[in-house]
Amino acid sequence: MSAPIETMVSGTINGRTVAVAKDTPLLQAARDNGVGIPTLCHHPALPPDGNCRLCLVEVGGKLAASCLYPLREDGFSVVTESGKIAGARAFVVKLLLSRAPEDECLLRLAALYQTAPDPRLAGDEDGCLRCGRCVRACHAAGSDAVALVGRGRSRKVAGAFLEPPADCAGCLACARVCPTGAVKFRETKNSRSIWGKEFSLAPCPVCGRTVGTPEELARAGLDPGGALCPECRRRAMAGALLALPENAAPKRG
Amino acid sequence: MSRLIHFCHFLVNSDYFVGNIRAMSQFDFQTLEDLLAGTPTEPRHLLPFLQRTQEKFRHLPREALLAAAAHFSLPASRVFAVASFYKAFSLVPKGERLIAVCQGTACHLRGGPQVAASLEKRLGLKIGQTSADGRYGLESVNCLGACALAPVATVDGAVRGHLTPGRAAELL
Ligand code: SF4
Ligand code: FES
Ligand code: FES
Repeated sequence: MSAPIETMVSGTINGRTVAVAKDTPLLQAARDNGVGIPTLCHHPALPPDGNCRLCLVEVGGKLAASCLYPLREDGFSVVTESGKIAGARAFVVKLLLSRAPEDECLLRLAALYQTAPDPRLAGDEDGCLRCGRCVRACHAAGSDAVALVGRGRSRKVAGAFLEPPADCAGCLACARVCPTGAVKFRETKNSRSIWGKEFSLAPCPVCGRTVGTPEELARAGLDPGGALCPECRRRAMAGALLALPENAAPKRG
Repeated sequence: MSRLIHFCHFLVNSDYFVGNIRAMSQFDFQTLEDLLAGTPTEPRHLLPFLQRTQEKFRHLPREALLAAAAHFSLPASRVFAVASFYKAFSLVPKGERLIAVCQGTACHLRGGPQVAASLEKRLGLKIGQTSADGRYGLESVNCLGACALAPVATVDGAVRGHLTPGRAAELL
């Protein structure tokens, strides 16, 4: 760790003393120190959102969602496994199971925490955990097509007015990060549909491989009609570099 | 060809077109503009704006949500998420006279459900519905903090206590 000493904080995780950079999320601090904590809504490339509550641990005896918990002060004392934690996670898994009773990952967790779906919660099995990864991925990709809309039981991922979202570029960022595969899309050689919208797929002008929808290419500042696929782009770039006069002979400097 | 395209662009983007749309639909853009006029553009002013809009229009019209998204520079999906989260907001017009029957614990024990049933019958509506002519809206709430007066209902926000199924007629 390269942080200056005054910006480090130290405390214990499962009794072992650790020092981490101030404001490190507890989840990351634990993982950096070889302590595993189960998560569902956390994604390393996306900001944490605290939606699934599976990452609950005890901080000073109180339950806290570790993905959202920044370590701010010296002297923290964290426990990542206890009866209380197991009970809380079991309850979380039970609730999540009511949405995705067949999800493999959830079923493994259910076995681990010895819980099962509650029959009184039946009827809402749409496969979506409301973890909001798709919402954050969409934002990170440069659109905000979908959000978690509504409240309570009817809360769900949808576009504004529950309509096909105008700013969806058809990039599939949402579908790729969904832990349960609940974001549905269809794709053929030259078309794609998602969130009720139809897209065409642009081929790479060199190799003909699918590059993406014109909308997502335009969003990335690429030519929506004639963008090269990543591989052909790399090749073209390498060729261009080699052709530069200063690359003809190594420079000294 | 390109002239034609230019002309289409002109039509779609010009005030001429917007003006015509306004004239065509009966939506009250003036009221919406007035509501937005004094509103700062920081996103934290979204909620108060939605509250004022709900009050004026008795619901949050689509036009208002889209205008809010533009005004606060927020994605439409986010504005819609906020609008669909709070129970105080409605996306469809609420009745001119809004009756909310308390179904909190105290009111429940002292006959709240019977008061609600009586109102449902008189209005021919279920809790959560609005009459076809838009005159009445019927809702339930969970404890208004007036348990001493249980069972309680509000009519356009004014509390009426010690109700009975018979006295419920007085609320109409
Ligand atoms: S669709 Fe998938 S990624 Fe999106 S909230 Fe639901 S479970 Fe999470
Ligand atoms: S991983 Fe922390 S709440 Fe989901
Ligand atoms: S329960 Fe009805 S006012 Fe409290």
